[in-house]
Amino acid sequence: MRRNSWVPAPFHTYFGWALFLQQLINGLTIGGIYAMIAVGYTMIYGVIQLINFAHGEIYMLGAFFAVTFITLLGLPFYVAFFLSMACCAVCGVFLDILAYRPLRKSPRLAALITAIGMSIFLQNLAMIIWGSRAKPFPHDALPEYFEKTAVTFGGVHLSWFHLFIFGITIIMMIGLNLIIKKTKWGKAMRAVAQNQTMAALAGINVNRVISYTFALAGALGGAAGIMVGAYYNSLYPTMGYVAGVKAFAAAVLGGIGSVPGAMLGGVVLGVAEALGAGYLSSLYRDGISYAVMIIVIILIPAGLFGKVLKETKKSM
Amino acid sequence: MKNRKSFLFLGLILAVALVFGVTTGATAGTIRIGVASPFTGDLASYGDNVKAGVNLKLKEINDAGGINGQKVEIVWGDDLCAPKEAGTVGSKFAADKTIVAVIGHLCSSATLAAMPIYVRAGLPTLSPTSTNPTIGDVGKGWFFRNCYTDDFQGKYLASNVVPKLLGKKKVAIFYENNDYAIGLKNSFVAGAKEGGITVTGAEAYVAKTTDFTPQLTKLLVNKPETIFLCGYHPEGALIAGQSRKLGFKGPLFGADGIDNIDYIKIGGKAANNTYCTVPFLAASAGPAGKKFAARFKKAFGRDVDWMSANAYDCMGILAQVIAKTGPDRKKIRDGLAAINSPAKGYKGITGLTYFDKKGNCSKPAFVKMVKNGKFVPAVKAK
Amino acid sequence: MGNLDLQNLTRGAKLRIGILILALVLPFLPLVDNYVLHIVILIYLYMILSLGLNIVPGFNGLLDLGYVGFYGIGAYTSGLLTVHFGLSYWLIIPLAFINGAIWGILLGAPTLRLTGDYFAIVTFGFSELVVLFLTNEIWLTRGPLGLPGIEPISIDLTLFGGPKWEFVGELPYYYLAIIMVLATVFVMNRIQNSRLGRAWFAIRDDEVAAVSCGINLLRYKVIAFAISAAFGAMGGSFFAKWVTFLSPDMFKFWESFLILCMIVLGGMGNIWGVMIGAVVLVSLSEVLREILPLFGLPAEVRFLAFGLIMVLMMRYRPAGLMPIPAVAAQMKAGRVKRKKVPPTVGLKK
Repeated sequence: MRRNSWVPAPFHTYFGWALFLQQLINGLTIGGIYAMIAVGYTMIYGVIQLINFAHGEIYMLGAFFAVTFITLLGLPFYVAFFLSMACCAVCGVFLDILAYRPLRKSPRLAALITAIGMSIFLQNLAMIIWGSRAKPFPHDALPEYFEKTAVTFGGVHLSWFHLFIFGITIIMMIGLNLIIKKTKWGKAMRAVAQNQTMAALAGINVNRVISYTFALAGALGGAAGIMVGAYYNSLYPTMGYVAGVKAFAAAVLGGIGSVPGAMLGGVVLGVAEALGAGYLSSLYRDGISYAVMIIVIILIPAGLFGKVLKETKKSM
Repeated sequence: MKNRKSFLFLGLILAVALVFGVTTGATAGTIRIGVASPFTGDLASYGDNVKAGVNLKLKEINDAGGINGQKVEIVWGDDLCAPKEAGTVGSKFAADKTIVAVIGHLCSSATLAAMPIYVRAGLPTLSPTSTNPTIGDVGKGWFFRNCYTDDFQGKYLASNVVPKLLGKKKVAIFYENNDYAIGLKNSFVAGAKEGGITVTGAEAYVAKTTDFTPQLTKLLVNKPETIFLCGYHPEGALIAGQSRKLGFKGPLFGADGIDNIDYIKIGGKAANNTYCTVPFLAASAGPAGKKFAARFKKAFGRDVDWMSANAYDCMGILAQVIAKTGPDRKKIRDGLAAINSPAKGYKGITGLTYFDKKGNCSKPAFVKMVKNGKFVPAVKAK
Repeated sequence: MGNLDLQNLTRGAKLRIGILILALVLPFLPLVDNYVLHIVILIYLYMILSLGLNIVPGFNGLLDLGYVGFYGIGAYTSGLLTVHFGLSYWLIIPLAFINGAIWGILLGAPTLRLTGDYFAIVTFGFSELVVLFLTNEIWLTRGPLGLPGIEPISIDLTLFGGPKWEFVGELPYYYLAIIMVLATVFVMNRIQNSRLGRAWFAIRDDEVAAVSCGINLLRYKVIAFAISAAFGAMGGSFFAKWVTFLSPDMFKFWESFLILCMIVLGGMGNIWGVMIGAVVLVSLSEVLREILPLFGLPAEVRFLAFGLIMVLMMRYRPAGLMPIPAVAAQMKAGRVKRKKVPPTVGLKK
């Protein structure tokens, strides 16, 4: 442990670098996960101005699909990972087509209630299919080296699993940015987010773009779910609820509608949570997200990067 | 339109009444006993254990002709190990006059929530697993249990298990924020001085937490030699796994809440080198206990655990008392209270059971450990 | 009652009186035991809560997702005042009412200027924070250990040299609940037909027009929110004294959603509709709780039905079973069939 001579000795154990760095790593790990879920929320809100309450459930389904593929079909981990992501993308699209599209022009209240209703429906559906007890992730499916420590420096442990999560998160974030900025689908998404009517007039098939957005959001959410399930080794049907709210808080923090904002918001929230749980009270760790959300909404509704979206429909 | 809706509403009320009437009806001539435990939800595996033990004894009793010629029927109440559900189950049992006694509840917080209802209704309750010491006071003479209390268990861990069996001195505690764990932690800390143990840190968590890494990181700073998993097995298993990921290599230990096959299933390799205290250990039990363990394995295909054993004995105790007093709530309570000395004690597979004025009993504790993915009697750590 | 025309008035009134009589004699009917009474009291409790929540989305058009927070505050106010100070319930009712209103104002004042979505989320966050606070502040609320031993309601006339009559069993609570429901309905009715109510409807129907009529949006919204919170707290106070045991996990978000379902199902903004919604959903919940285990499914799965019902209701009858014309018109106006925009060939680069 590097000694900082200008810090008084008794503080070393509590405020020592090793502890801080380890908590930081914990925070970045969970922050990356929140970021991946948060971009899903923010993209969907961007295109249809709906808080997709059921997004957390897609995250949960991702984890469960992966476990089912591994245990029932005997697929190797990486195959199950991508297959599960694909399934989540499909689920997202179905969610849109079945539940949200018919209400495209309805008042907000109706769509919000539908979203909550779908969230509850999916949670309980998962309970019926997989049981309500927490399930472990099948250990043997994970690559052997995940458990091993990859890097140690000054009392900080980084296992290969950590590196895997960081890696996937960063790759997906970069990939998403590329899709949004460089591909025509990305351009179409941005157009629909700005103004649906004008985008339609410009010849964009708005419905299809929205479905595409749901697919992307679903895939990312599913990936996040698998990683969480595998890393913390616990899957249960209501895991999407809390993670979903926190990721939404992250999206709000970053500015709802802004993808880079959601990414940053996720990381910031994750780190704040880990540091808060580690240094202050772990019992209020969930409260940190809620408090951040409320404060941000009241004081700076635009978040870090976003613009306050004008109320285009009636408030009801 | 309005009339249709009001008929719908009336119809629903009638349907509800009918359903309740139907489901609370009893078969005449049976003795009905309520059993309350979590049968669904995260702690359902505990409930499965209680069910197994009760069912095994039930079969024995009914095959032998029942109690004084009357067959015994069980009414299962799912309390989800939650105080609110426990209250609902308790009201149901109390309102059903054909239920003469209750075996339960499983979780201390559930028992604490239901006890006032049972006291008001005069329904004797015998718990196989609730270990919180305060239940004896709340029970006002209607509560009995055939397991030890956490007063005893915590001190036993602190003065015996950790210093002598594990040979460690510095302990970090992870406890759940509920009646059971807080009581257990307090008695452990109280006994720590006697055993020469230092508690290097304590972290609380709420049920269903899955990410313990920030708190573990904090606890590991003070370099504990062992971690006390003061809670139930789902979280215990996760703490075990995550602590290994953070590089902790020492032994882990817990109390009766950890003793469950799911701990090993969820924890995987990380569950190895975990010790826990239990009220019953087949390997250390007398000949009756060993016979029971064999029968259990044959009937359910898995090793017996302490909850099944205690539930089996609860059923046995009730059967013995009801045979003497008949199916009457007050008489059964008096009959249970009369088992108040070793001479009058019930000789079951878990040893000799007799109750003091608060319904508590004293039982010895045993220690088991996880080795190579299996529960085995504990050996001294090297 | 404003949406009935004179012709139906007599019939509707007769029906209501009939139901009231049925309710009054219910405990003495056959097949009705303590358990059934328990459920019916639960229905009455949810009626009060639904009527309280109805003010915000139904009369004002805002989505309050954090209603359970006020319910919990009221319950713990009642429980703690009883356990620590032994206050009589008749004193607790106004105190809980006021406490709820205070929190309603505290939460509402900074947040009611937000748009609908944000407001919904903030209220949600608030109720989650309330639960966290109740769970973690063990010194105050005993947290997850729960607050047991709350004394039942009693009518204490000892100060006047009279007897003390404690509520034992379900029957006294039953009649008290009926009285409370009637009182709530009365109040709601009067508000609805008052200037306050009309201002609210104006806000719900068109905020811009309301402002131009000189209505101070924020003030009226805060009043609505405070009254809604007060009734929620009152319901909570009754709940605490009735079940005599409180624990924070009784006040999760699910309760907010459930109450929201009741008012949506019954007809938002319609006092009677909301009460019917409460009856239907609580009965459905209990019936499913009994039936589902027979199919080998855990009882929680009944919530799946609720989620599905909500989705279907929003799709096909968003204004509820007993809709208010104004609300129905709004919900319908949104769902004009959109003509499919003919897609040009793929996307042009």
